[in-house]
Amino acid sequence: MPSSTRRLKRSGLTMPIVTPRFINNAWHRGCDYINMDLEDSVPPNLKGYARSLVRESIPVVNKGGADAVCRINHDLMEADLDAAIWPGIMMVNYPKTEYGHEIERMDAIITRLEAERGIRPGTVEIGANIETAVGVANAFEIVTASSRVRDFGGASGYDMSRDLGVEMFVAFDQFVYGKGEVELAARAAGREPRAAPFTPNITGSVSDPDRAFAEADAARKCGFRIGGGLHPAVVEPQIRGFAPSDDEVSDARWVLREYRKLSRTGQTWVQVDVSSVDREASPRPMASESYLGRHRVIDRYEAARAEELLQWQDLCQERDQEKAEAIDRVRAAESAESAT
Amino acid sequence: MTALSTVRRSWLLAPVSHPDRVSDAPSAGADVIVLDLAEFVAEPDKPAARESLRDCLLPANSTGAEVFVQIDPELMLADLSAAVWPGLDGVVVTRAETPGQVVSIDAIISELESRRGMSPSSVELVLSLETAQGNQNGFEVATASSRTWGLSLGRADLVMDLRPEPSGETHLMQYLMQRLVTLASATGTVPIGAWWRFPDRGLLATPENTLVAAQRGRAIGFKGSFCVVDNQVLPLNAGFTPSESEVAAAHALCEAYESATASGTYTMVSVDERVLTPDIVGQAANTVALADACSTRDRFKAAAVKGIPVPVP
Repeated sequence: MPSSTRRLKRSGLTMPIVTPRFINNAWHRGCDYINMDLEDSVPPNLKGYARSLVRESIPVVNKGGADAVCRINHDLMEADLDAAIWPGIMMVNYPKTEYGHEIERMDAIITRLEAERGIRPGTVEIGANIETAVGVANAFEIVTASSRVRDFGGASGYDMSRDLGVEMFVAFDQFVYGKGEVELAARAAGREPRAAPFTPNITGSVSDPDRAFAEADAARKCGFRIGGGLHPAVVEPQIRGFAPSDDEVSDARWVLREYRKLSRTGQTWVQVDVSSVDREASPRPMASESYLGRHRVIDRYEAARAEELLQWQDLCQERDQEKAEAIDRVRAAESAESAT
Repeated sequence: MTALSTVRRSWLLAPVSHPDRVSDAPSAGADVIVLDLAEFVAEPDKPAARESLRDCLLPANSTGAEVFVQIDPELMLADLSAAVWPGLDGVVVTRAETPGQVVSIDAIISELESRRGMSPSSVELVLSLETAQGNQNGFEVATASSRTWGLSLGRADLVMDLRPEPSGETHLMQYLMQRLVTLASATGTVPIGAWWRFPDRGLLATPENTLVAAQRGRAIGFKGSFCVVDNQVLPLNAGFTPSESEVAAAHALCEAYESATASGTYTMVSVDERVLTPDIVGQAANTVALADACSTRDRFKAAAVKGIPVPVP
């Protein structure tokens, strides 16, 4: 995989690498990535055994087209990286990142291992996860510490709740400040923010498909493109929730058509009366997105959003096709094998 | 005169490339008219807009409005050369990002002020932190020039591509607004903005939504806001002016405190089940003073419309 290619991360399952039934079944779940965990889901006495499994698990998890990711232990960075950086690994998640120098050190080790193991330089991404108050305070130095940090976010979730001593599952957003700091740092550094609008979750359920869809849907509408989870039941709703709807695609095409008209007028924006648009014609605007009641603003910002949406739709479709083909290949090989 | 005593509730943007918008602007009743060279002027129209700008300055303040010009920092030399003439009160810098940028703008203005016979340091700056970098560097940017009077998020919702959440709030905005208000207070500058919600976008909203955005904006510390169309001006003036009932309550509170503390024994007293402290009473006094300053400003504008010469408040 060339390092310049943007890898989609709409849906990903995190699972203990020491549980074979999870790892062996992960490939047909349809998620964009599989996060093989060496950290919280692996007991201390199994850390060494867990490390020995990463290299052989990479082809197992990515035979259905999912990218292989490994979450390492904060305090065992060097040994874990040595076990994880093998051809086929897309990203390493570093939990509880607190300082830029941690990421600089990690970058240096990965750079050496890439060279030694025949991986194209710069391939392996670093997921610098912010899960503590110190990480929030140093967010900007962390996100700028390595070009391998391509998306950036956090400051919420289980570890952050514990670090701050706050309840995790409440009906309001308890992380406004920290999430804001981290997202601003990501944007200021020119990296993709790994963020989502707040949606209340008071049950703590990790397997509710409706909730997973609602979260992904809200994230997509807000412009965010990254998700993940712990339970196979959330994969399909996440993939569906991150896909632009037919109405949105039609709307984006309408916006771009109106914007092209605008560019010939010397105006920088115009309000279009949405009710005057022929509802049968395609493409057409979405009334629910209208500003100022019936009126819809068309300007360069609206056009940029529309363009991004159409590109995103293409990326989603290409990625889904890629995974479907990989899964078909595995199934064909399996049935050929069982026939002989 | 301190920065906070200057009442600038409504900042109406008028693109210089649209003569009708520029000639209509003075009758809208804005405290400040912002002649725009940056955001609403199509690229090919910019040279002509710059040439016509000087002639727009005096008509713009014919109805008592102050006149600012909004510039693009990437084109600072050309934009400032067109803008800094007698009659200009200040400059709004879109997409302000780095202290270096602001230092350069300050130096160019100083040179133009002296060359064109204007009082030194008379031109003020409002910096619009519309990008992530500008907000990240906010403190350094805000303190880079002594001309800086105000800070704003401008059209950060569009520039940073921040979209509505299911709650109707614009993503990240509550964090950015509180950050900006804190930053402004820490640097002795005035926060300019309003609390817009979906479907408001890019400083554009119906008059009704504009009033609500101004009232909510004032409640979290903003002192005035930019707007895009004429019918937003009066709602901004109203939303950023304390209401009559607010002023009456503030008066009553100040008087109650005065009589309760007349003995000189206590500074914290209980009146009608409320505890009054010097902070609370000081805030009430500020409300009364703001209301007075607003009515002075309104009288000044009314007099200017009638052609009566009145000293600038």
